[in-house]
Amino acid sequence: MLVEAGHFALALALGLSLIQFIVPLWGARANDPVLMAVAPAGALAVLACIAFSFVALTFAYLNSDFSVLNVVQNSHSAKPLIYKISGVWGNHEGSMLLWVLILALFGGVVALARDSVPMRLQANTLAVQAAITIAFLLFILTTSNPFTRVLPAPMEGQDLNPLLQDPGLAIHPPLLYIGYVGFSISFAFACAALIDGRIDAVWARIVRPWTLGAWAFLTLGIAMGSYWAYYELGWGGWWFWDPVENASLMPWLAGTALVHSTVVMEKRDALKVWTILLAILTFSLSLLGTFLVRSGVLTSVHSFAVDPERGTFILGILILFIGGSLTLFAWRAPMLKQGGLFAPVSREGALVLNNLFLATACATVFIGTLYPLALEVLTGEKISVGAPFFNFTFLPLIVPLLLLLPLGQTLAWKRGNFLGTAQRLYAVFGVAILASLAMLAFQHGGPVAAPLGIGLGIYLVLGSLNEIVTRSWSRGTPLSVAWRKARGLPRSTWGAAIAHAGVGLTVIGIAATAWGVETIGSVRPGERLSAGDYEVRLERVIPRVEANYRDDVAILTVFGSGRELGTIETMKRLYVTRGMPTTEAGIMTVGLGQVYASIGEVQADGSIGMRLYYKPLVLLIWIGSLVMAAGGGLSLTDRRLRIAAPARAKAVPPSAVPAE
Amino acid sequence: MTRKQRRLSLIGVAGCVLAVALGLVLYAMNDTIVFFNSPADIQAKNVQPGTRIRLGGLVKEGSVQRGSDQQITFEVMDAQAAIQVSYKGLLPDLFREGQGIVAEGVLESPRVFRADSVLAKHDENYMPREVADTLKKQGHWMGEANAAPKTQ
Amino acid sequence: MVIWFILLAMTAAAVMAVLWPLSRHRAVAAQTDPDTQFYREQVAEIERDRERGVLMPSEAEAAKAEAGRRLLRSTGGRGEGFAAVGEPALRRRRAASTLVLSIIPILALATYEIYGSPQLPSPAAPAQQADNIDLMTAVAQIETHLAKNPQDGRGWEVIAPVYLRMGRIDDAVKALEAAIRYQEPDANRFANYGEVLVMTKDGLVSAEAQGAFEQAVKLDPGSPKARFYLARAAAQDGQVEKAKAAYTELLSASPADAPWVDAVKQELVALGAPPAEAGQGATSGIGPEAIAGMVAGLASRLEAQGGSAEEWARLMRSYAVLGQRDKAVAAAHRARAALAQDAAGLKTIDTMAQELKLTDAQP
Repeated sequence: MLVEAGHFALALALGLSLIQFIVPLWGARANDPVLMAVAPAGALAVLACIAFSFVALTFAYLNSDFSVLNVVQNSHSAKPLIYKISGVWGNHEGSMLLWVLILALFGGVVALARDSVPMRLQANTLAVQAAITIAFLLFILTTSNPFTRVLPAPMEGQDLNPLLQDPGLAIHPPLLYIGYVGFSISFAFACAALIDGRIDAVWARIVRPWTLGAWAFLTLGIAMGSYWAYYELGWGGWWFWDPVENASLMPWLAGTALVHSTVVMEKRDALKVWTILLAILTFSLSLLGTFLVRSGVLTSVHSFAVDPERGTFILGILILFIGGSLTLFAWRAPMLKQGGLFAPVSREGALVLNNLFLATACATVFIGTLYPLALEVLTGEKISVGAPFFNFTFLPLIVPLLLLLPLGQTLAWKRGNFLGTAQRLYAVFGVAILASLAMLAFQHGGPVAAPLGIGLGIYLVLGSLNEIVTRSWSRGTPLSVAWRKARGLPRSTWGAAIAHAGVGLTVIGIAATAWGVETIGSVRPGERLSAGDYEVRLERVIPRVEANYRDDVAILTVFGSGRELGTIETMKRLYVTRGMPTTEAGIMTVGLGQVYASIGEVQADGSIGMRLYYKPLVLLIWIGSLVMAAGGGLSLTDRRLRIAAPARAKAVPPSAVPAE
Repeated sequence: MTRKQRRLSLIGVAGCVLAVALGLVLYAMNDTIVFFNSPADIQAKNVQPGTRIRLGGLVKEGSVQRGSDQQITFEVMDAQAAIQVSYKGLLPDLFREGQGIVAEGVLESPRVFRADSVLAKHDENYMPREVADTLKKQGHWMGEANAAPKTQ
Repeated sequence: MVIWFILLAMTAAAVMAVLWPLSRHRAVAAQTDPDTQFYREQVAEIERDRERGVLMPSEAEAAKAEAGRRLLRSTGGRGEGFAAVGEPALRRRRAASTLVLSIIPILALATYEIYGSPQLPSPAAPAQQADNIDLMTAVAQIETHLAKNPQDGRGWEVIAPVYLRMGRIDDAVKALEAAIRYQEPDANRFANYGEVLVMTKDGLVSAEAQGAFEQAVKLDPGSPKARFYLARAAAQDGQVEKAKAAYTELLSASPADAPWVDAVKQELVALGAPPAEAGQGATSGIGPEAIAGMVAGLASRLEAQGGSAEEWARLMRSYAVLGQRDKAVAAAHRARAALAQDAAGLKTIDTMAQELKLTDAQP
């Protein structure tokens, strides 16, 4: 009963979305506030319906209701509770339902932000949002219906793909989707501004928190996915330039550019047309990412849905929205008013460069990801574009951007002084170069690029610190005054500095991978294998049985420079229901580095193959990403950016504050 | 500077960056792209030894030999040809005889391939797409349901 | 019935949610103009920056002047007021309400009518679920046991029928395979294995299954199950007389109240009756007419519009399952003609012909 009601709620949401699309657009054209007021009401009703239907599906999973095909295919009554819940979105149909749920959630929050968004903008925005909702609801109902029933109900389900039975993957999709779908709001605002033919700094102020929030979640989602691949796939790599990873990296790059260009627009009323275009492109790339992952056009560790019908449908959605919004852009953008002037050497100028580099880097990733697909469609030739391509094209575009970052951060708005700025940074630059030289002198082997990368990372971290220091302290100021001043700096300044320092940490982590050590060998119980200064001894291999899998556990003792550090376990796991083996890596964190071991099969002579890595500073890659997201989050709490936090006494509904 | 000059200088800088990016992409396209081949393709296209390729096919039954120190050799075959593959390292979880794999590495001679990575399908219903396509073309593919019992 | 009341109530709530703002006459509370507020804050921020010494006083003045200019521009451009009153507004409101009242219920009910299944019962009662869970733990225990002792043939034999009940046919095949491998040869076991193989092929007795049945008959010439399926295999190979003879023999050797007697009689009727009405009602829940109709539909569609090699192969297999060998052969010929340009397609047809043992259908 509940399942059917959930199914019906989805159908109702479709009808409601159609109303939410037609009536507010009409109202905005006729300038009729009553019709426009349908937009928020509709958005909230759609949210209620989709949330209800999501809850209904979750209930079916929790109760192991095997009359629902989706539950049969992806659940098992013996599965732990958390994977029963994450199983809801661990499959194609459920993840699309999560997608529209988040879409509706964002629509609902815009609907509640009644006081800070001009009415016409809100009506148009929610109408565009409704159009996206309609497309994806139709997609779900016609091709990927999670509520399809089976009769007679099987007695047991087929279990969730074991690779997805992991806490990392339980939260990775929601984070990633909040990021992807969050950009739909920027997109809807951009289209609304184009429909209305009016765009200014106020628009930028309204859009910025959404973009920032979506960006922070996308950062977290990508970092989580990367860490999952690192420990679950057992190859010790953290980024494979896999098309699915690229699919999330592209919107992230475009979104990063968008976060920066809206700053220019808000502060200086410039870069309007470009910002609108960027907002459209960012969400288009999110849609493209959804298409790549969901249509099964890729061969990839991630694709768990292969169905040409679905692929065609999403391709249709893709063409409709990208084509439609770009047409709207081409038609209306020339009517927008030109923005303010600024000198090439200025904060604005630096941010333009930032956008230029990010957009170009994004384009190279785009080419590298889609070229093999295009070539196969056109000529049938199968090629793979792998890490060498991306390292060769992407890095030369990102490194200059990172070099310019602290400079741009220090430049003044409107008209900057390049020499003066460089002077404020020379100490930072000096320390970074010294660090690089020291690394070069002390390193044992390894590429030259690695110490330079470390230097670059240090330069970024110190540059951010320098930004805070020079803004609050000058020669002769007592420390207490400087501290008070630093605390008085706007939160968005702190947020930017922290996020940029996070970039630096990630760069250090990536550069340090060059010093990683890898050993492969066969070991018997009692024997040792070493990687760099670290060594492990295989103690024994024991079998272990759990509810839905069984393990062959290898217990290893880890030694660092001859001293015993503790034991780790790595296992070969067999998921009984699917008969599928997986490898669980054994990881010991030493400082910021990790000792990483994974085992192969047990050989005839009783030895087992083992792969052992030592990865110095590897945790910085993800810590840096977390710091970046935290910086974004801190900026969001800046009072000026909060959607409904005007400086007046009237109470504001707490739900109107995004991402809290 | 006037508005026009500023705009021109911006376009100039953008043009430079784009030109550099385009150059990098084109250069990398020539240098880093890896083609996919089945064992039969290697003979048909006369792929030169020393070329880096991705090789896909089925692991021949009974061909897997494990040497000391994780040195492994096996044969990858399709309907028409087979090729010897040598690989040092841990094989993926789903590597089995009679199943589809994709290996990336260097062709040492027309009969020997040295792999530096081996990928196997990632769940029981999934065969690497390239391998499935090749087998389909050669008429040895009848969908998953029919293919499964044959390997037993 | 109850479910429809619930769905109607949900529809009504949804419609009301959207009608409510349309019914309010003064919908817009005086909204503080966000524009004014934005620039006012910007000026305040410039002021703060000046106090902190980030901006020179002269720069701050210039910036404030610019913010002021922009504020004037933004408010100056929007003289028009909202059009919320008057006859046209009323008409608009009525039209919108009509839209709401029609689109939401119609679209929702139509969509649900197509994709929903309101007639299906609620999930199993808790008691039965508890049984399921008991069974599940039992299965899990046996599975773990077998994982540790894969050579325990008896264990495999015990779990196979459970798999079958759970709809895990492939697992059942594997289990019976293991049961045969690790135990003494036994007619029943071979017959069961063959039967499961037949199930995986939707009723077609494959060469593999036939081999299993032949083994069973070798061990126990009286095995009714094996003889039944061997007879069916003969029918599917087009040897109708042989099949009839085998069925009749089986019938005469069986006690009159044996559970398989009805099934054998049905098969005999099917073989005796005109080909179009033949069917395999014994194992299928769908009537023979329905199957014949579906096959005929597929055939006429393929004749008229052509189709993929897989579809032709499916047609061939369907005829073979129905015991209509001549039609299967004819379908193979037509498929070859239709797919003459498609080498891979021809291969598929050839493989299917081999599998169905349509020897006279070779080109």
